Amino acid sequence: MLKVENLHVYYGGIHALKGIDISVEKGEIVTIIGANGAGKSTLLNTISGLVRSREGRIIFKGSLLRPVPHHIVMKGICQVPEGRLVFANLTVKDNLLLGAYLRKDKKGIKKDLEKVYELFPRLAERQKQLAGTLSGGEQQMLAMGRGLMSDPELMLLDEPSLGLAPILVDTIFAVIQDIKKIGKTILLVEQNAYKALSTADRAYVLEQGKIVKAGKAADLIEDPTIQESYLGQKAEAGDRKSEVGF
Amino acid sequence: MIQFLQQMINGLSIGSVYALMAVGYSLVYSIMNFSNFAHGGIIMLGAYFGFFFLTLFNWPFAVAFLGAAICAAALAVLVERVAYKPLRMRNAPFLYFIISAMGASMFIENFVIATIGPTFKTYPAVFSREPFRLGPLFIGRLDTMMFVISAICLAALIYFIDFTKMGKAIQATAFNPRASALMGINTDLIVITVFAIGGFLAGIAGVLFGMKYTVYPQIGFITIKSFIAAVFGGLGSLPGAVIGSVILGILETLISGYFSSQFRDLISFSLLIIILVFRPIGLMGKSTEEKA
Repeated sequence: MLKVENLHVYYGGIHALKGIDISVEKGEIVTIIGANGAGKSTLLNTISGLVRSREGRIIFKGSLLRPVPHHIVMKGICQVPEGRLVFANLTVKDNLLLGAYLRKDKKGIKKDLEKVYELFPRLAERQKQLAGTLSGGEQQMLAMGRGLMSDPELMLLDEPSLGLAPILVDTIFAVIQDIKKIGKTILLVEQNAYKALSTADRAYVLEQGKIVKAGKAADLIEDPTIQESYLGQKAEAGDRKSEVGF
Repeated sequence: MIQFLQQMINGLSIGSVYALMAVGYSLVYSIMNFSNFAHGGIIMLGAYFGFFFLTLFNWPFAVAFLGAAICAAALAVLVERVAYKPLRMRNAPFLYFIISAMGASMFIENFVIATIGPTFKTYPAVFSREPFRLGPLFIGRLDTMMFVISAICLAALIYFIDFTKMGKAIQATAFNPRASALMGINTDLIVITVFAIGGFLAGIAGVLFGMKYTVYPQIGFITIKSFIAAVFGGLGSLPGAVIGSVILGILETLISGYFSSQFRDLISFSLLIIILVFRPIGLMGKSTEEKA
């Protein structure tokens, strides 16, 4: 469904992505794990058109993607950004409706709104509240719900568990499974490697702008080098107090 | 008491025109986080367009009025394309935008001086000078029209921003352009829309101002008052811009009525400095950084 070929991205003089090749098939959850600054978010932002590549191609459903964010959303790729970036000055419902900004099918929008409320009952209770008054976990749900409202085929999730309390992290990963069940394909970027690998079908390991390992998530989770570099930090990451909300 | 009421009425009328100009500053600030000092030039051009449409083309008032607003909107968008878009495309620092805005403002002023000339132009009398009488109060016809037209425009603007899909997209972009782009909002189109709306209202304000006073190339300087009002209300906030403008308008007429009009501008600019020092966020502003 999505094919990234030989992608090179520079930030000024910094070579952030050094020839990335990845692919995502329909119905899969694919995760990209890696340390801070490895280039995970850069990769998602390049797919979303926020960052321009200097070299390489991104092919979605057989055609080349133009690097213009709203065209890419129109094609069926939606990113749920790191840090959620909900519109704090607007209500929960307005946030969700803005997710459907490019859609014209009123009936479909209404149906999807109900679907999102079903998936996240908390949002239904708070639909008239300003998004800025939500807790961190609720904002993450809102950001994901808002992403779903564009009725994407492929969802790019950037660090959905960042800064959330452990119990909420579990909820968010359960929701990611639910989203897969309703037929969406997911490309997930995560620092919580253990959670990501337990949820995903396939995984790539990104180090300093290069893919150093790829394979089935179930295999990588058993891989000793992965265990040492990424899963050793699991307990530490899980114990970290949430920075936002609750 | 009667004099006080009379001043309040005058203040409300001038304040409502300040509001038309101030929302232009505020809208652009809310999206792009800088003060568009070329806005004064657009107001001035609006005043000239209205003047020429009335005197050279002999268009009926309503047509000339609308024509001036549309031309001002188009020019505001043109200024954005030429002076700001190249900076946006390479994420230039805010200071560059402000310098570019000042450059555009000087260009417009000098362009008018070079082509039309520096002389004052007086609008033909569209309305009779005979005021309405309300008991002991005199209410000028032009003042009434200034207030009514401004109020209609502002109400329409607030409806547009708060209740339409495009309006909500503008609010979303004001909050976070990146996240808006990820929702499929064409942020470039939002910028064009905001400049077009600001320019349209600037054109209307320009014609009203030109009719009330006269038209000359430095008329844009007066519009700095509306900038003060926008800062006072809180840059980036539309209700703030409207409330700040009305308060400033009333304050100015009271000062010129009770003290002297020489004091008027002194007090207005003092107000600007006091706000920037003690409450840079204004009455209901969105953030404290990059106020100038």
